Amino acid sequence: MQMIQAIRASIAIVVSRWVATVLRWTGRAGTSLPGLVATRISPQLVHRLLRQLDTCVLVTGTNGKTTTTEYLHALLSQDADRWLVNRGGANLLQGLLAALLTVSDARGRLRIRRAVLEVDEATLPLIAQSAHPRLVVLTNVMRDQLDRYGEIDQTLALLNRGLSDPSVTLVANADDPLCAALAEGRMDTVLYGFSSEVATPGCPDGVRDGAFCLKCGAELTYAGYFYGQFGMYECGHCGFGRVEPHFTGRVSSCDGFRQLEVEEVARRTSIQYSVALGLSGLYNAYNLLAAVAAARTLGVAPDRLNEGVARFSPPIGRMQVFPGDPESVLALIKNPAGANSVLRALIQDPREMAVCFAINDQDADGRDVSWLWDVDVEDFVATVTCQRFYCAGTRAADMALRLAYAGVPRERVTVLAALDDVTGIACGGQVQVLYVLSTYTALHPLAERLPRRLGLRRMVSEEVHA
Amino acid sequence: MTRAIKVAHLFPELLNLYADQGNLAVLCQRGARRDVSVEVVPVRLGDPLQLGDFDLLLLGGGSDREQAVVARELFRYADDIKAGIELELPVLAVCGGYQLLGQYYELPDGTRIPGLGAVDVVTKAGPANQRLIGNVAITWDHGSARDHNTVVGFENHGGRTFHDYNALGKVIRGHGNNGVDGKEGIVYKGVIGTYIHGPLLPKNPHVADFLLQRALRYRGHPDHLDDLDDGLEWLAHGTVLRMLSIKTGDQGVTI
Repeated sequence: MQMIQAIRASIAIVVSRWVATVLRWTGRAGTSLPGLVATRISPQLVHRLLRQLDTCVLVTGTNGKTTTTEYLHALLSQDADRWLVNRGGANLLQGLLAALLTVSDARGRLRIRRAVLEVDEATLPLIAQSAHPRLVVLTNVMRDQLDRYGEIDQTLALLNRGLSDPSVTLVANADDPLCAALAEGRMDTVLYGFSSEVATPGCPDGVRDGAFCLKCGAELTYAGYFYGQFGMYECGHCGFGRVEPHFTGRVSSCDGFRQLEVEEVARRTSIQYSVALGLSGLYNAYNLLAAVAAARTLGVAPDRLNEGVARFSPPIGRMQVFPGDPESVLALIKNPAGANSVLRALIQDPREMAVCFAINDQDADGRDVSWLWDVDVEDFVATVTCQRFYCAGTRAADMALRLAYAGVPRERVTVLAALDDVTGIACGGQVQVLYVLSTYTALHPLAERLPRRLGLRRMVSEEVHA
Repeated sequence: MTRAIKVAHLFPELLNLYADQGNLAVLCQRGARRDVSVEVVPVRLGDPLQLGDFDLLLLGGGSDREQAVVARELFRYADDIKAGIELELPVLAVCGGYQLLGQYYELPDGTRIPGLGAVDVVTKAGPANQRLIGNVAITWDHGSARDHNTVVGFENHGGRTFHDYNALGKVIRGHGNNGVDGKEGIVYKGVIGTYIHGPLLPKNPHVADFLLQRALRYRGHPDHLDDLDDGLEWLAHGTVLRMLSIKTGDQGVTI
């Protein structure tokens, strides 16, 4: 039996390497296809490879996995230290395997024995044993597309299973009551969160996912909040509440450069340092803070954090800026909480903007688009100075309806027939930025197409103001 | 004179799994554009439910845990709700709310979780990991919109529901109540129960108007509604029909 498995593994490696080579030749590298093929031939291969890792760090949670993983990989890759990483959100078994295969020799031995891996919540319990992580980062627990996991209770159950070894260090978001509840009762927990001084006083409106105490079921009360369910929560019934994090962050701005100020408390002493924050949006500050907390726990010195961040290159479509007239900014939206964070970042942008939503409904996007109605579009359209809305993707019309029922006059909404048309959006004279918010499967096509906007001439006369 | 109706949104803090507030946004805006004021009152856990104040009840779906809480709360009003329904009180019950209106939900081990018993509908848990999920299209012949004879949306349910009433429609594509008998949802007096969300009403403006008219009649108002420009609505509706390879003509779908 062992013998057969070993043979299957060898075949899987050979075939998948061949697939990877063909993909490279045809210019289609960077997919999970080699991993998918290898998993089909040898389901055990991914576990065989994971077991060889000396140090394995996993990043999971609903939102922010990909960016946090990139940040953490940049922070850890000091000098000649090489860490394996799975890029671009390839966080299912075949994605992990595809990444592992890139550093495996023909006999299935890993050349790099340290890895930072982004893992889907449902995949975590499948690999927790073989990967035997040194540390797991849990970014947050929010409602994802319902047709993928069913309800949030199920996501929590998956995470609980994946974190069942209490000796694994858990780096968790203290501001998220669901995260914090999962972190309770473990041997080694590192918490991060934002400073209560920068919280908005009062209770967040319409909290969906963490409204009730996971311990006793009573409703949580908030002294202040950051966004979504993140804040200074407390259960009046059982006493469960936010505890002071080990890593406390706040965002500051100096000469136009945004910084993440971190106060780290360990053994009753506290040190402070600041790290350059490249990406906009409070949610990206959370991602960096999570990565800093994990990197520090793994022994990265505070004075080396900034050189690490300098190596960071943002994943595709995370507030990715494309030059043009006007410039365009591509951002991934895939669930209500994530979309709300992105919309909040747009509200912070004082420029006059046009906004395009590209909504697909493939498996990776979530086939059920009802989540669009859980996004706080009403608040967004009432606050933002947006001239014109565009909708693209297979579910463009659903998004257009969403905007119409959020109060946008219908004549200001354009449904584009094809994704390609996004490159041809001619913004009016006053528009200073075109935001393109896209679900997962439209993201890569758009990242390829948006640079073409460079050649586009701005429209001089504007029909929009009619 | 402005016609006014009042909608009870039952337990929005618990039953909003499938973006049910989208249904309310549609009712409110479609009302407002015809000079019908639609007031939505969220009824939360522990709030008294004065059924006589309302012209339409909206009962959404929640997780199993949340639905059990709601069932316990609603038992107190079971008789009132049943009586209201017999007097043509309009109700829109989606997914879990639809199941909750019925007699019981039977678990795989045979345990029956009692529902409100407002209609003679029963639901049984399906085999594990065999949820009925996907885009769905059914027939529609209840309202006046003859050139739009379909209802579309998304379904995602583990329970299999059975009853002998009129269905909301016959399944054209998808699973419907139970994946077996070709029926989707229920129409009984003013009650619409369905597994279709997405949410239901934005892409199905004829169903929204049907409910508005029911509510107007229930309140004793004239039920006339002017036509609206529903270009976007039918575009989104047609997108789902096309995805399901359903051909449409001038007279709607040939069924």
